Amino acid sequence: MGTFPETKRTFTPLRCNHCQNAPCERICPVSALHYIENGIVNIDKERCIGCAGCVMACPYGAIYIDPETNTADKCTYCAHRIASAMMPSCVVACPVEANIFGDLDDPTSNISKYIQSYQGGVQVRKPEKGTNPHHFYVGGGNVTLNPLASHRAEGHSLFNKLTSKMPIGGHH
Amino acid sequence: MVHETLSATNAVVTLDVGLPGIVWPWLVTINMWAKSIGTGVIFMLFFLLRKYPHDARDLRFPTTVVSIVFIHIFLLFTLADLHQPFRMWHIFFYPHWTSAITVGAWMATLFVGLLFLLAFFSFIKKDNAAFDRLLMWVTILAIPVTLYTAGLMSQCTARELWQMPTESAQMMLAALLAGSATMILLGGKQLSFEAKSTLGVVLGLSALFAFILYMAELIFGPMKAEEVGAVLAYIKGDGEYATLFWVGQWVAYLLPMLFVMLSRVGKSESILKLAALLALAGLWVVKHVWLMIPQLLPMS
Repeated sequence: MGTFPETKRTFTPLRCNHCQNAPCERICPVSALHYIENGIVNIDKERCIGCAGCVMACPYGAIYIDPETNTADKCTYCAHRIASAMMPSCVVACPVEANIFGDLDDPTSNISKYIQSYQGGVQVRKPEKGTNPHHFYVGGGNVTLNPLASHRAEGHSLFNKLTSKMPIGGHH
Repeated sequence: MVHETLSATNAVVTLDVGLPGIVWPWLVTINMWAKSIGTGVIFMLFFLLRKYPHDARDLRFPTTVVSIVFIHIFLLFTLADLHQPFRMWHIFFYPHWTSAITVGAWMATLFVGLLFLLAFFSFIKKDNAAFDRLLMWVTILAIPVTLYTAGLMSQCTARELWQMPTESAQMMLAALLAGSATMILLGGKQLSFEAKSTLGVVLGLSALFAFILYMAELIFGPMKAEEVGAVLAYIKGDGEYATLFWVGQWVAYLLPMLFVMLSRVGKSESILKLAALLALAGLWVVKHVWLMIPQLLPMS
């Protein structure tokens, strides 16, 4: 961010927003993308036909076609871990507790308390799309949250030059 | 509980955001182009059988065959574009009715079935009355079959450029343009110059209105939405698709309009056929550019 030499590096998770009004769920022709009871937008990779409609519909660029399975994939907030009363991996792994996860309907949950304490400073991405995201940002800057706010030469992200079909982190 | 605990340890790595790249490639362009011809010829046959019944009497079967061929090209390329083509049957067994893809797949399937019934009436049973009765319903069904791709593009919330009112108009105009162009070429000696000239008017007017819509988007779109402005930058100045955009506009719309006028002035069928060929070739380019440019914009 910034203009050389006054530049700095920031990190912002730009994962799936688990929208209440999710365009990916609406466009999926086979309900592979679906809501689960806790509000997470989950994906059934066995049902996905790989039409990529969800990739085209997501205003956050959070869905992609997994080259290993040839199906759509995205962050599921680790729905499989939540089902076992565990926290998502990103929440556990983050050393500074930058990711806060919880039940927004429970006013005593950590996430509810956090949002209440930062009232006025809480943002969602692209609210004009009417997707009602369930992913909130505190202290997120325009440059990191708005893809049109900065010039990005030759592409989108840190991973531009990836050519391998192996997933990041290569679990094989 | 044990099962869920085991499941919880099976996490695979997922990406935060998608990698850059074109998601809907040229296969989808062919999908839209072929569908325009497949439904467009049905619109034109319906029109010709009412306006020039004597000229069009022997075009029932050939037109039906052309429609069947191009609708199958459309279906084939739709299938080819899927990353899991062998799961296509999921659309019919797990249909999700809020999706334009699902609605379109079912309508296209019904459309194909009715086209084969038309072929049966015209080629096997040789019953023109039954053909014409059914053709009316096939023509009505051809309207939503033409339009559903506009619905699909409009459901792509991320792609601000594709708005339903404009896209639905463009889909209909593309079908009229492609249908009239194909019928001019298909008409041979069976269609009089007068009938072909009338098809030329349909072609020319479709080209004119489509061109007006594209120019309106190009000039006024950026005044309404920041994202539209960013997308249209790819076809302006030295934008990545600027040359191809204008090649498409000239070949699909401007030159055919000019040649349609010249053919009327000079009563030349050859010039009209040239207009038809250019319109068909240019339509592919125009559709391709409009499909590609929103995909170049980073979403995250």
